[in-house]
Amino acid sequence: MKAIGGLLIILALAVGIVPALTSCESRGKAIALPNGKSIPMKCHWTGRAELVAAVPLLAVGAIMMPTRRRETLQALSVLGILIGAMVILLPTTLIGVCANPDMLCNMVMKPVLTFTGMLIILVGAAGFFLARRAESQ
Amino acid sequence: MIVLEGVTKVYTLSQEHKVTAVHDVSLEVAPGEFLLVTGRSGSGKTTLLNLIAGLTRPTTGRVLWNGVDLWSMSDRQQARLRSRRVGFVFQFPSLLPALTMAENVVLPSAFSVNGDRQGAHEQAAELLSTVGLADKLLAYPRQVSAGQQQRAVIARALFNRPEVLLADEPTSDLDEKTEREIMDLFQAVHADTGLTIILVTHTAELVSYGTRHVRMAGGQITTEED
Amino acid sequence: MNLLELARKNIAGSAFRSWTVGLCALLVAALTLATSLILSGAEDSLRLAAERLGADIVVVPEGTEAKVESALLMGTTTRVWMDEETLDAVRAVPGVQAVSPQLYLSTLVDAACCAVSDMFLVVYDPQTDFTIEPWLKETIGEGLKLGQVVGGHYVFVPEGEQNIQLYAYLLTLRANLEPTGTSLDSSMFLTMETARDMARISESMALEPLVIPEGKISTILLQVAPGFDLDEVALEIMHQVPGVTPIVSTNLFQAYRQQMTSLRTSTTVSMVTTLTLSLATLALVFSLATNERKRELGMLRAMGATREFVFGSLLVESGILALAGAATGIVLTVMITSLFHNLIVNTLNIPFLLPSLQGLLGPVAGGIGLALLCITLAAMVPAYRISSMEPAMAMRE
Repeated sequence: MKAIGGLLIILALAVGIVPALTSCESRGKAIALPNGKSIPMKCHWTGRAELVAAVPLLAVGAIMMPTRRRETLQALSVLGILIGAMVILLPTTLIGVCANPDMLCNMVMKPVLTFTGMLIILVGAAGFFLARRAESQ
Repeated sequence: MIVLEGVTKVYTLSQEHKVTAVHDVSLEVAPGEFLLVTGRSGSGKTTLLNLIAGLTRPTTGRVLWNGVDLWSMSDRQQARLRSRRVGFVFQFPSLLPALTMAENVVLPSAFSVNGDRQGAHEQAAELLSTVGLADKLLAYPRQVSAGQQQRAVIARALFNRPEVLLADEPTSDLDEKTEREIMDLFQAVHADTGLTIILVTHTAELVSYGTRHVRMAGGQITTEED
Repeated sequence: MNLLELARKNIAGSAFRSWTVGLCALLVAALTLATSLILSGAEDSLRLAAERLGADIVVVPEGTEAKVESALLMGTTTRVWMDEETLDAVRAVPGVQAVSPQLYLSTLVDAACCAVSDMFLVVYDPQTDFTIEPWLKETIGEGLKLGQVVGGHYVFVPEGEQNIQLYAYLLTLRANLEPTGTSLDSSMFLTMETARDMARISESMALEPLVIPEGKISTILLQVAPGFDLDEVALEIMHQVPGVTPIVSTNLFQAYRQQMTSLRTSTTVSMVTTLTLSLATLALVFSLATNERKRELGMLRAMGATREFVFGSLLVESGILALAGAATGIVLTVMITSLFHNLIVNTLNIPFLLPSLQGLLGPVAGGIGLALLCITLAAMVPAYRISSMEPAMAMRE
């Protein structure tokens, strides 16, 4: 289960880092208000939420690595799958990204996060099935 | 009844270089015999065994199984004969590493006409317990000793309830104690089932196990004794 | 135990061989599918863009062909102008049945956030128009009124608001067009009346006013009367009207077609390279593997396996790996091309439409078929060699 845990850690890092590099704000874009202030766009908030999802995923991966007990591993895998679903839902439905299809967050951030989310779910599912071979205590 | 009539096998390595592995050998093996074939390495024992099983075509002469020439049969008929009537114990480690011990024992069912027959796994378990491996059904070959592997090979050779068991140096990789255990096993199988066994070995001390003994040298049978 | 089970166990038992073969299958299938998706999708996109335009000939200011084409196809904002009088001159050319002017405008770069930034605006004349008006009548039952617009597929009203605000002017979105797979999906269509109104309001209200040059138009869409040859009419326009270039609709997007030709060449080269490399790798892997398994296969024959069984088991093994690898490649390709569609369009600078589920069947079957063919071919030679060997020879070291 070391490999599964390691993969989840790498994916968690990707979930945390990708929005920081690909949200519109990373390119200095924000909504300019008439009074001169600027407020961040949707994609910024999605990025924040993804960061919040990445932290527990990192923990899941880290705990999984030394764990040998079947039930614990399966519970962690299910948690991983749920976080993976969150990673997909945040930029697609829950919060969303900016509407313009040509903007970076729409062109890169959303698909990368969706893809990463799918990988997380796949790895989680693999972990769940591999855990069946582990010892039950 | 297996009959070899003036069988010669010449291996052509190149145009000039030819090796006569078996030279003009005639031999009859009656049903129920436990024939031991001894000889130094290179004396043609293994080739003789391969000729008997139809694994190589004789250069001249005939190999008859119950009066039928092996090489008048098609590849399919030969395969069927080997699958139904012959069990093979090889010189080299011959269990498939990807299969468990039990799966290795049922392997012959993959080629038999009835294919994946019912009760195959029960039969495998029974055979493995006969050879003393009841607790190794789910083990992989790499997880057991060489002696245990060879026992499983014998179990596999018995899977299709053959009439003839052909064994090529089955104890060459084993220590003396294990060698005796394996030979005892052959003897016990012979006593229990009455099948024909042709066993090739370079260890002359093993002759006491058989009901008949032939010695080979230079591709020919030099002495024959009961 | 049967052939399939044995093959499955053997696959699981030799990880390196299985991964290599599976990966080759994945590459071949993925590349085949990606190539055919992008190339046929691009052709669809070009065809659709020309159809949507709905004109036989587009007359553009001389020297602006490429700009206009990229505006029409990709929705790239552009500002090209010619005198309004050109319209009458073109109308007078024999064979011309109808003409309608269009104006290309663009919003401020980086206007209010996400919904609209750097948007391409197409202004048309509802009195003479024969391309947008008929579609509108069919879809919403009437033409556009003052302040109303039709948007590309991705144009929408920002959340919590009723209108789209451009140049401090409030626009009502009446309908959306079908997707084209290009930035045209975020362009907007409006009437001359609305555009002038917008320009008027923007002068006093907007940070930067919308300027529509007086007496200028961008392009002229033209319908040719029945019985006249498109090319001849185009030639006639070139002779009679100075300072313009007529583009026959079938010749539209020449630059993109050329780009596609080079894309096709480069993808063909990479396809051939991948195929050759995969075949070479596979041939190597299979001949190494079969050599390594000579003894095992000879042993199977000694145990009663027929030649066909040995040959078949090798092919079934490679077939399973090919199918598994190809299926993974297909799923990955479909996922990546649909997820990263916009990125690909922007990187290649060629629009492409993703096919429907039905249209996907052909390319998918092609990808899987090619992978299966490659692997079977590579596996066949050593499998045949070993299965026709004498078992005794195969078992010898």
